Amino acid sequence: MEKFKNIIREYPFLGFIIAYLILLSVPSIFFTDLYQSHLASLIFINIIVAAGLNIVKGYCGQVTVGHVGLYAVGSYTAGCMFMYLGSDLWVTLPAAIIVTGLFGIAFGIPSFRLEGPYLALATLGGGEAIRIFIENGAFFNSTYGISSISQPVIFGVPFDTPDKYYYISMPVMLIAVYFSYSILKSSVGRAFMSVREDPISAAASGIDIKKYKILAFILSAMFAGAAGAVYAHLPPGYIHPNNYTVIEMVTFLAMVVFGGLGHIWGGIIGAIIITIVYDITRPLYEYQLFIFGLTIVLTILFMPKGIGGFIDKIFIDKRFKKKKVEEGK
Amino acid sequence: MKKLKTSISTIILTAGLAITSIAQANDIKIGVSFRMLSDVGYKHGELITDTVEQWNSEGGINGRKIDLILYNDECKSEKGVANATKLAYQDKVHVIIGSSCSSVTLPMVPVITKAKVPQIIPHSTSSKITMTGSEYIFRVPVSSRFYKLVQGKFTAEQQGKKITYIYVPDQASMVFAKEMIEYMKSEYGVDPVYAVQAGEKETDFRSYLMKAKAANPDVIVLSGLVDETVRMLVQSYEVGIPKSVHRVANSVASKVEVPTNAGKAAVGVVYSAAFAASDTRPIAKKFVKKIKDRYGVVPGHDFSQMQDLLDMLKPALTKATAKFSGDLAADRNAVRDAIAGITNFTGLASGPISFCANGSPECRDGNKTPVMIKYSRGGKNWKTAVAGTVTFNPSDGL
Amino acid sequence: MLLKTKNLMKAFGGLKAIDKVDFELPAGEIRGIIGPNGSGKSTFFNLVSGVYDPDPGSYIEFDGHDITNEPPHKIGALGLSRTFQLLRLYQDMSVINNVMSGYHTRVKYKFLDAVIGRKKIWDQEKEIKDEMMELLSFVGLADYAELNASELSGGQRRLLVLARAIAMKPKLLMLDEPAAGLSPVNVDNLMKIIMQLKDKYGLTLIIIEHILKVVMDTCNTVTVLDHGQKIAEGTPNQVKDDNAVIEAYLGKKMNDEEMRKALAV
Repeated sequence: MEKFKNIIREYPFLGFIIAYLILLSVPSIFFTDLYQSHLASLIFINIIVAAGLNIVKGYCGQVTVGHVGLYAVGSYTAGCMFMYLGSDLWVTLPAAIIVTGLFGIAFGIPSFRLEGPYLALATLGGGEAIRIFIENGAFFNSTYGISSISQPVIFGVPFDTPDKYYYISMPVMLIAVYFSYSILKSSVGRAFMSVREDPISAAASGIDIKKYKILAFILSAMFAGAAGAVYAHLPPGYIHPNNYTVIEMVTFLAMVVFGGLGHIWGGIIGAIIITIVYDITRPLYEYQLFIFGLTIVLTILFMPKGIGGFIDKIFIDKRFKKKKVEEGK
Repeated sequence: MKKLKTSISTIILTAGLAITSIAQANDIKIGVSFRMLSDVGYKHGELITDTVEQWNSEGGINGRKIDLILYNDECKSEKGVANATKLAYQDKVHVIIGSSCSSVTLPMVPVITKAKVPQIIPHSTSSKITMTGSEYIFRVPVSSRFYKLVQGKFTAEQQGKKITYIYVPDQASMVFAKEMIEYMKSEYGVDPVYAVQAGEKETDFRSYLMKAKAANPDVIVLSGLVDETVRMLVQSYEVGIPKSVHRVANSVASKVEVPTNAGKAAVGVVYSAAFAASDTRPIAKKFVKKIKDRYGVVPGHDFSQMQDLLDMLKPALTKATAKFSGDLAADRNAVRDAIAGITNFTGLASGPISFCANGSPECRDGNKTPVMIKYSRGGKNWKTAVAGTVTFNPSDGL
Repeated sequence: MLLKTKNLMKAFGGLKAIDKVDFELPAGEIRGIIGPNGSGKSTFFNLVSGVYDPDPGSYIEFDGHDITNEPPHKIGALGLSRTFQLLRLYQDMSVINNVMSGYHTRVKYKFLDAVIGRKKIWDQEKEIKDEMMELLSFVGLADYAELNASELSGGQRRLLVLARAIAMKPKLLMLDEPAAGLSPVNVDNLMKIIMQLKDKYGLTLIIIEHILKVVMDTCNTVTVLDHGQKIAEGTPNQVKDDNAVIEAYLGKKMNDEEMRKALAV
């Protein structure tokens, strides 16, 4: 077991291959109906957004409330490319990532001068501006929304039902999570954290603050863009500006906060739990917002580092205690 | 750790099971996806719940209990699609009622078509919805293509062709204005003298109205939700647009808040709807009283359409359950066929509602009778007069 | 000269925090900077390390590079490391991550390699971690590597800040009151570690310290600042006897005997 752990630690890529194989077989073993596949795809999309948000918010400490705008950019890049050029996911996904990355620069520049609530306000304005721009533009077909966005076809097999689309959204999610993992585990992740903790002292260590701030914004924008494109193509392939409001933004933030800000798996844990809990509480729609508000307040009060931080604490305390006991002997 | 994991998964599993498995195999399952955010939204939900409860207390349909599953879609397509998928595949309902917003109903159609679950629409008016050709979709309200015709004809022939449009970025409001613009262009060859989409949640429309006034129009079309319609009407007098300019609103104007809050400004406003609260038929009077007593509001056509839908659904389900075999796919088709078999249903709507077998808009836009209504008095004791009722041919306006 | 400033000036509003300071530091030396509160010691550090921009007309050179108006991270990349009076620890990061982030300028792999997560990244990361663990055990913090920095005691925090500053293998290390708030035993311990590190990494040191004993015992040369001006420079003993210094510290009213006593503490 210990040997196995070391191998994974040395080749994290292997871990993701194993995860891929497991996830590949999950539907046939556990899923009893198509809705679970649909829900799984939604979870994967949320994971991509939350993993990206965790980079800029959790790791780099830049408060952004406009992320949903970037998600919308990704969706509408894919949607418009489909509508005007007939492109499918293989073209729209990279295009959405690039376009959204460029928008990420625009969102990152205010962070050079603004901090905390002021930056939050600036990004909030940016996100809402994007949605309202889409809503008012005839180019985006906002009256009816963009519909019947195509699903990819591989070897003549169309992936046009929730159970098949699972096999599209899942690898995209895994690749995104893998990128986020390897970025955050490297010196780049540490640089992000030091920018968050203390920019002055980070600069003294030779870390270029502006570069890393903008990099965090671009990276997380690219994640949001990828998620947006995967969502746009999710059957039945329909996007509408109503899905990119502040409420969605709060949900994304809740995922990252609940999962653990700045924890490498934080956004992922949060996205899974929040999406599932949201689904289970669907019939209790009258109390849903109350439940979510309460969850966030309680999390911040009693688990400021979210679930991820809580689990870490248990492990580290255990290890530390064990060491102390050994020393005592 | 392992203990924690197992206990968490047990909780999730049992919660999921508890919620989904209360119903029994013999029940008729009705799924609802709806915008239930505002006060009125909740009341629509209550109307369905109360009606179904009443059915159950009367012994159900053909002895079968009706099991109602109510979800909120918040007028968001993402949630609407998820609800439709969940209702179709996980909750295994026989029929879906939904949704309020056209932008939610539209993407639900391919989902329920693939799943082969009949869906019946209480509110969405966008003509695109039934043009998808799905055999599983039914619309109770009047399609925007009929509103466009009646409104366009009435306006062009009785009010004038120099028209300005101010509309807000809400799907129904946008569709109403845009389809009318299109219709005026194709039918009479006139372009709007001025058309503008207001910003989201805007409250001051005077700058737009000033521009509209400068264009010296015969008619101003003010298409918005309740509050916006009221504001636009009041502000149109504030900027000095004379009474002689005709004011046209969308079907939202049928809601009681509009004449009450707009007061004098409501006088002369013309709109088209499927139902007028001033309807003098006994069935309508009884309905208005019932809603007023039970929910404390004067019903607009959103309530009447929901009531009509439920009243149509009951006999259809009675007919379908007679043929229920226990095979879900066959039962769903039986429900679909039973709904498609409804002809000349006379309820609260101003005209009869009929469906037919194929999935064309001719068959599935059930109500073809919009009413043109005009406010003759505003304020608390508002009064309306029916300016005209037309029953269109099924293929008109396509 | 490793570090050279010429005509260094900085004014905050009307207050001249640093006033025409010429400063030269050859490699390998341990330099102490002393002066009363508000004499401009920390401002001098902040100017050299790029936290503040100096006023026009100033000139700073480090290791042959003009760094007068360079941003702090470029100065850091050239091999000038510093600590802060207020520590500026990364509270919410583990001890090992604190030290490893100090290694930043020495990381060799490219960003794209990190994105793809190539094997050489993990190899290098392991090397970095091993080296940093060694550094941590050198300062005696290896057992606490996985803990959050905020869980350390005051003395451990000072050691951690020191380790983080050394992680970049600097040519020049500037310590801003490294021993502030420590008990005498801990001060001795800390100074011993600093000296060991200096020998191990071949550092040049500048130390701001209020505890004069530390400065007198360890520094080769001492620079004295008062009201932003350099008023004396020389060996500890020379400075101790300098009248301007004594005046700056104690004012004129004491007699010679008392001054010597006070300074010898």
